[in-house]
Amino acid sequence: MPSDVFTKTLTDDRRVLIGWAVGATLAGVMYASFYPQLADGQMAEAVANYPQAMREAFRLEDLTSAAGYLGSSVFGLILPLIAMFYGAATGARAIAADEETGRLDLLLAHPISRTRFLLHRFAALAAGALAIAATIWLGMLAIRSSAQLTGISVAQFAAQCLQLALLAIAFGGLSIGIGAATGRRALVFTVTAVTGVLAYALHAFAGQLGINGAKYLSPFHYYIGGEPLRHGMQWADAAVLLAAGVLLVAAGAVLFNRRDLNT
Amino acid sequence: MDDDVIVLDNLTKTYGRRRGLDGLDLRVHAGEVLGYLGPNGAGKSTTIRLLLDLIRPTAGRARVLGLDPRADAVALHRRVGYLPGDFTVDGRQSVRACLRFLAGLRGGLPAARIDALAERLDLDQTARVKSLSKGNRQKVGLVQAFMHEPELLILDEPTSGLDPLVQQTFLAMVTEAAHRGATVFMSSHVLAEVQAVADRVAIIRDGRLVALDTVTALRSAAVRTVELTFAEPITAAEFAAVPGVGDLTVTGTVLTCRLTGPPDALLRAATRHTVTGILATEPALDDLFHTYYAGADRAV
Repeated sequence: MPSDVFTKTLTDDRRVLIGWAVGATLAGVMYASFYPQLADGQMAEAVANYPQAMREAFRLEDLTSAAGYLGSSVFGLILPLIAMFYGAATGARAIAADEETGRLDLLLAHPISRTRFLLHRFAALAAGALAIAATIWLGMLAIRSSAQLTGISVAQFAAQCLQLALLAIAFGGLSIGIGAATGRRALVFTVTAVTGVLAYALHAFAGQLGINGAKYLSPFHYYIGGEPLRHGMQWADAAVLLAAGVLLVAAGAVLFNRRDLNT
Repeated sequence: MDDDVIVLDNLTKTYGRRRGLDGLDLRVHAGEVLGYLGPNGAGKSTTIRLLLDLIRPTAGRARVLGLDPRADAVALHRRVGYLPGDFTVDGRQSVRACLRFLAGLRGGLPAARIDALAERLDLDQTARVKSLSKGNRQKVGLVQAFMHEPELLILDEPTSGLDPLVQQTFLAMVTEAAHRGATVFMSSHVLAEVQAVADRVAIIRDGRLVALDTVTALRSAAVRTVELTFAEPITAAEFAAVPGVGDLTVTGTVLTCRLTGPPDALLRAATRHTVTGILATEPALDDLFHTYYAGADRAV
């Protein structure tokens, strides 16, 4: 039986985590398996009539290659939004949910420091994100041949999935950080989700809005801007996402240590 | 007096404008069982949460087992067993998994000790926490508070939800803990729950300490109803000014009144006549308790 907060969090939440992993993988695999029907160029022709701005925003410039198609639909929109919501929801549970239900009093009356408790919860969130990403990766490999996705290597899929996990970790860090600072679940989820959607919009439309430099503010840029499906692992981008998550949690820990727990 | 287990100096906690604790001074001696009484909202849980560093004081300070609750939180928590006023844990787990996990946070405990406590309280460890009744959930809370045989037990309303039989078991557990040298700080809003085991009782009201004494001493200061019967009719006037006498009624040869504190003055006044009968009620403990509540009310 688990006897530390990290393992306990993962085992208690295993059903929720399996739900995220299966849901995300099914959604990803389903969309990815449409690729053969689109590869013949009909979709690309249709999209060619879309306004230039829209094609850029949703990365529709190249729908005929496997990397272009997956980078626009599956890994460009569906999975990152799922990853963002996983981070927001899991982070909201990490501190705020236990605090609102009064469970945190008992846990923190045990010989574990607030910082350590927070780190265990963050590590559980990160492990969950990696598990989801690994499941998606395996799902993609399972359909890679049948869906004619062999233009993307196994390593390139792994790189994109890892970047996806890091995106979830970055938003999870934001969510846990706000939860640690305030202890209010609704606030945590709302702020993280709104930030996520705005950051996605910033990433998609910065070019059209004439503020191209602003895209560097969006985590989605570090997630997919380097096109891991074509170019493999983007270590600098990965480091930015990880650092963002860790710094947000660290800031949360400072505030968590200073405040009263809510009743 | 540095070996006092809990030392509170001018401990103050305000929530915005609302006062939770207002300059509380209190010392709990090593090895004693202190009943911490007060009506709901008096500041009992606030005090307890301050002792455990779940909240921080606005002013004043607390020392627990010689440690600073904030700076030495981890070391302190190792030596304390805590039952929150509202004991809640994740309902999806079994009782056994919950207790093993909490034991694990303390570095692990012999399973036999946990099992023995659960058995003593007749707690089924295979049940899921969310399927438990309020009383059974409270038993889980008691087991986790006692299972590591801590030096200090801090129990917030420990008897709430327990049936009378389990309450007896609980009181026996408190007595045994005290015998092995542990200090027990337990809150309640019902005096009867703590009087059997408490060495001393502290009563707080509106965040202030209004009484701190042994149950016996508190009782001697309490209110009782006295009925005196005389050989011949008497008048109310000659008893109205006697210290401690209130609600005085005289009907022919019978006097009834409420008496606060020692009966000496009343008896001296009475023996100027021939007294043929006397009846004094034992102060009801709840009345005793309410005396302090009401006293604080008048002060406001």
